[in-house]
Order: sequence, then structure tokens, then C-alpha cells
Amino acid sequence: MTIANLSRRTFLQAGAGLLASTALPTLARAQDAPSGGRLIVAADSEPKNLNPAIVASNGVFFIASKVIEPLAEASFEGKDGLSPRLATSWEGSADGKSVTFRLREGVKWHDGKPFTSADVAYSALNIWKPLQNLGRLVFANLEAVDTPDAATAVFRFSKPTPFQLIRNALPVVSSVVPKHLYEGTDIATNPANVKLVGTGPFKFTEYKPGEYYRLTRNADYWNKGEPKLDEVIFRVLPDRAGAGAALEAEEIQLAAFSAIPLTDLARISKVPDIKVISKGYEALTYQLVLEINHRRKELADLKVRQAIAHAIDKKFVVDTIFLGYAAASTGPVPKNAPEFYDASVPAYDFDVAKANALLDEAGYPKGADGNRFSLKLRPAPYFNETKQFGAYLRQALAAIGIDAQLVNADSAAHQKAVYTDHDFDLAVAPPVFRGDPAISTTILVKSGTPAGVPFSNQGGYENKELDDIIAKAAETVDTKARTDLYKQFQKLVAADLPLINVAEWGFITVARDSVLNVSNNPRWAVSSWADTALQS
Amino acid sequence: MRRIRNLMKTPEGMAGFGILATLILVALFAPVLSPGDPLRIAGDPLLAPFVDPAFPLGTDRLGRDVLAGIIHGTRTSLAVGIAAAIAAIAIGLCVGLAAGFAGGLVEEALMRVIDAFQIVPSFLLALAFVSVIGASVPVVVLAIALGAWADPARLTRAQVLSIRERDYVAAARVIGMHPVEIAWKEILPNALPPVLALSAIIVAAAILTEAALSFLGLGDPNIVTWGSMIAEGRNVLRSSPSLSIFPGIALVVTVIGVYLLSEGFGKTLAGSEA
Repeated sequence: MTIANLSRRTFLQAGAGLLASTALPTLARAQDAPSGGRLIVAADSEPKNLNPAIVASNGVFFIASKVIEPLAEASFEGKDGLSPRLATSWEGSADGKSVTFRLREGVKWHDGKPFTSADVAYSALNIWKPLQNLGRLVFANLEAVDTPDAATAVFRFSKPTPFQLIRNALPVVSSVVPKHLYEGTDIATNPANVKLVGTGPFKFTEYKPGEYYRLTRNADYWNKGEPKLDEVIFRVLPDRAGAGAALEAEEIQLAAFSAIPLTDLARISKVPDIKVISKGYEALTYQLVLEINHRRKELADLKVRQAIAHAIDKKFVVDTIFLGYAAASTGPVPKNAPEFYDASVPAYDFDVAKANALLDEAGYPKGADGNRFSLKLRPAPYFNETKQFGAYLRQALAAIGIDAQLVNADSAAHQKAVYTDHDFDLAVAPPVFRGDPAISTTILVKSGTPAGVPFSNQGGYENKELDDIIAKAAETVDTKARTDLYKQFQKLVAADLPLINVAEWGFITVARDSVLNVSNNPRWAVSSWADTALQS
Repeated sequence: MRRIRNLMKTPEGMAGFGILATLILVALFAPVLSPGDPLRIAGDPLLAPFVDPAFPLGTDRLGRDVLAGIIHGTRTSLAVGIAAAIAAIAIGLCVGLAAGFAGGLVEEALMRVIDAFQIVPSFLLALAFVSVIGASVPVVVLAIALGAWADPARLTRAQVLSIRERDYVAAARVIGMHPVEIAWKEILPNALPPVLALSAIIVAAAILTEAALSFLGLGDPNIVTWGSMIAEGRNVLRSSPSLSIFPGIALVVTVIGVYLLSEGFGKTLAGSEA
């Protein structure tokens, strides 16, 4: 079946079944979906290292997750928000010093060798712990992995490690790679980092730089009947406007990660046979955060920080900058993490009069020109929305007599200025919440991180009480007690405002109606797509 | 004065003068025509043009008044364009004069420096300069001047080479005038007119370079410029093309005005010499 065959006529023939499946995408069970077909997807980056065991980032997962599988994947329905992949069950010991995984049997690598516990042990000890950006933190105290038999792996930790953290991190940190291809080689330069070999539903077949990645069906996949598709093509389309046009012209069938700009969604949603989906990114929540340099004496004053929080109209940010595809934040944990989220934190509603009063109280009266003081504001250049929020914030601060001078820079210069040189007063950042506050959230406020670590607290903020809560949560094994600590953490951050959380957002997928089983898990774009199908 | 009267006789000169005079008035009276910060959020986002009398050209994605942006953008464009041209011509005149008058090794050295600057595309030079030093109006002016001074320098040197052999220069030398005085009083005034005719082209190029830098996000984000307005509008090009079209028209009109004026100058110069 070729792309040309996917004409409008085919869509019309699909008829009522198609309508039902788009209206209720989660009800269209994988079993009922048709087999075969080639799915063409827009890709906007070509990572140099495609090995998700080393680089646990969304750009890598987007392509690699179809080839290399984790022990467990995020799930809307599953227990603890997980569904089994290479592991069938997992259990933590009461003392928090070991976790036992039962592994799936009868799984084969794409080169025909059997998958065993030795692969898991090798990946964990030689890659996740020493090399992986997130695994370094999660598996910091991993000491050994015992393999009593081919289908059991027991992770042993030198210090109590919360099972809750391991569980929440599994979909992101546990991509298993084949030991027989990596053992005894230089892992960082191993050719399998580019030409992936995994256990997933698709085999890595071809990569043409600047053009496409081609993945083809793995006929020996452990879940019989999957994958549904014959091929997945990732077409490299760096120009965002190009992705929308390609989708309309049916050159591609799916664009994930907001490859179609928000401003174009209203228009493209009216195009027949195209659906706009905001589901499927619940476990990849981005947060719009205002980072504060507490070395500035004005900003070290809590009243000033409260005034800034009161000056920001979150509704305007959500409705105008994000065009409604976002939610206002209350604190450092997003609503998409219901396990931890606590709504009962101090709130700062939009109130310019109150903000002005707070600044007067803090001892910064308005001067003759209407200004109290000047600040240097650096919006992160990664997203259109962060830049626009910078422009908005300048105006919002002008309303309370703070003159914010915007400084734009490219990614490298911005990171150096904020995270190494501390040459900022306020900075707009888009950190990611990765399922557990300990993975990439507490580092935004805890003290003691050396200069130069990006996306960490580089504002010179120090709060002993907050540091203690974070340290205690890191070694609290009991799930309930740990969750309670993170609820305290949220309250404290919202009260003392080491940074200001403004909004949180996920990405948008735009797909042709013919693509079935889209966005049926909270990390859909970076999951295996084994059940994704094409209506023919 | 006579020059200007002659200039107004040519249709190009008149049109160019008219356009630029209007723009300069708009720039001077921008705070009266549109009071307040043009970047403030004034109304609902993405209002269409010609609908709301309060926002005749509509509003952008954040609800900023497009007309206010264009009025205040005139200031930036003209100020940067003229300042960059003055800086470029000042540098060019000094270097060209020194090279032409000194001769010998100094001339050789200076000419090679000019070559070096002419080889590098001026926009790349400006781009590199601004991204290293950081974006602010003076830096942008300097960056543009840096890529534009080589042409006037070359022209000045050529003029000086022909003038310094003239009889009145020889006479000045004979009566014992200091070389610097000769350069300043005798040569410069006579070398100046063709270089000034070049200035209009430099202004036009500087305005376009500034817009291009702002379009790429390398302008000063705290002031409104036409280039940054076009860049902002590009995100919504398919749904609200007017956001890019209006500042684009302003840019085109300004550059055409400058070019027409320079055409007019060229004609009057040619006429007065004939």
C-alpha cells in the first residue's frame, strides 16, 4: 500500500466506523484495528545519539521508543499508572533496598538472540546508572543487580531508595539495550547507538540524514497480533509551517509535539479528516516558570516576589499566549500528577492594586517616572510561548512600577548567562515534570547545586526547611509518608516563592482521521505505537 | 539651499523628499500621535484591521496596537538607519582620507583592512557582532556601520587621489600649510559630495539590515521595530497576514523614499557638473 492509495475516496469508504473511532479513540481497541499500512510522521530533530538508555529525552524517545522498550510504560488505566512491557511485575522490599522485576519470557532481540535478565542487569549497571541523564539520579545508590534466573532481576541499593520513585521513573529511565552488542565496547561510540537494536514492535531499518527514518514491522514481536503497522516513517521537517502544509496535502499523517504551531490549530482543526488531540502528553508536562535571582536585594524580599506573583494574569497567559492549550499552575507540581498534586497551597490571584501595595510596604516607592526599580528579564528562547510570556511579563511588571529590561539570547548563550554566570534577575524557563518531583523538580529549588548545571536552582535561593524536606523525601521509603512530604514541599514553595509557577502545558498531536489508537497513554508520542493502526 | 531647490525640481527627489519628510515628522511626533509604550497590551488579541476605530490596523497576538507599533517603529528604523550611515561615512571618510593622503605603506595597510571588510558579507558581520556583544540599539548601529564603512572609504580615497594632485593643493603646500590642514580644508570639502550621494544607499541598506536583525530576534526586544513586528506576525501568517503586511509596507515605503531621494541627488549632482 502506498501513500497515493490513501486518497480521499478511501477515507469516504471508511464511513461510519471511522467516525465512531475518532469520536471515541480510546474505545477503538487495538484488536479491532486493521493491520498493515505505512504511517508517515513529521520529525523535527535528528538526535546524534539515538540510544534512549543513554539520552532519556523526548526527541530521542520519539523515534527510539518504537525500537527499544522500557520495563514498563505509562498507562491511563494500569495500576500505579503503569502497564507492563519487558517486565511483567515489580515489587519493592519494605526496607527500600531492593526491587524485584519479573521479566517477560520468550522475548527476542531484533537480531534473534533471546532477551534475558542479563540484558537488564547490564543496561542498569553500565548505562542507566553511570551514563544516563536521568538514571544517574534515580539509580544513584544502585549497587548490584542479581539475576537468579533468566526472567528475574533484583536491583539492590546501598541506601534506601523509594520504590515510588523507581516506579514513577520506569517508563523514562528503563530502556533496555542488548548486552551482547554493548559488552566490551565503548558504549558512547557503539554503532548500535545510531542503528538501534531492541525488542520493540518495530525494527530500525534505514536512516537518511536530513530526509527520514524508516522503521519496519517486527514479525517476532512478543505480543502476537502487534504491531499493526507495516512501517513507520519519520520524515524530517524542521520547518513548522511545513508540517501543517504536509499534513493537509496528506504527505504525512501525523504531527506530534506541537509540530503544528498553536496559532495554526484553529484553522487546521476545520480541515476535513484532520483531528487535533491534546491528550497523550499527561506524563510529559511542561511548566512555565519564572526563575528568580535571589542575589538581588529587592527580589530577596518575599513581599516583592509576592507582588510579582500577584501582577501576573495567569488567565491571560493561558488564554492568549497558549490559546487555551494550557492550565494555570498553583505550585511546583502540576495537576497532571494527581498522586502528588495538592491544590491547598497559597494562591496569588491577579491583583495589581495588591501588588502595588506590597511593593510600597516593602519599601520601594514609585519614583518620579513611575518606576520603583529595574530588573533584567531573560526569557528562554526554546519555545515561542516562553518568549511571548517574556514580552507579556515586561508589560505586567510595568503596571506595578517595575521596569523589566528584556534580554534575548540563543539557547547556548541563555543557558550560560542564567545557569553559569547568574547574569539575570528574572528568567522565564520551561522545566519538565517527569512523573515524580524527585526527578527534575526539586532541583529547581534546593540549594547546593554547583553553577553550570542547567535547569537547576541557580538563583542563590537557600531555605533550610525546604532542603530538609527534599532530603528527607529522597530517603523515605513509605509511599504515603513520601507523598505527604511532597505535599509539604508544594506548600512551602508556593508560600516562599523561590520561583513562580505560572502555567503548565502538554503538547498537541494533529493527525489524519485515518490514524487509529492515537494518544491512548500518557506518554503516547514517546511510547511504542504497537497498537497504532491505519484505517484503510 | 540651491541644491535642495534643484533637488525638488526632479520628480524623484520631490517624491523621496516628501516621503522622508512625512516619516521624519511621524518619528518626531510619535509620542503625540500614539502616547504611551507601543508594546503595552492595549486591547483584545488579534483584532482584525479596519474594524475597531480604536485600533485602525488591529492588534497582534498579545493585543498590542499595530498602528502604535508602526508609528514608533518609524523612530527606530530612521534613527538606526541614519545613525549607522553617519557612523559608516565618518569612519569611511577618515580611513579613506588617511589612506589617500598618506600614501605608501600606510595606504597599503589601510586598503588591505578595507578589503578584509569588503570581503565579509556585511549582514553576516552584523549578525556575528550582535550575537556576540548582545542586542541593544548602539550595538546594532555599530554592527551595521562596521559592515558599511568600506565603500565610502574606497570612494573617498579615490577622490583624494585625484584631488591631491590639483593645482590648488600644490599651492597650499607651497605656502607651507600643515598636511592635516590641507587634508581638512582643501581636500575633504571637495571629496565630500560623491560620498554623500552614497549615503542614501547606506541609509536604505542600514534600515533593511536592522529589520533583518530584529526579524531574527537580534534586535533590542525592549523597543518596537518593524522587523520584530514582521517576525511576530510570521507565526500567524496564515490566519492574520495583516500583522506582517503592515510593517512590511512601512519598510518598503521608507526604503523607496530613501532611494528616490538618492536618485534625485544623483541627478542634481550630474546636472550641476554638466
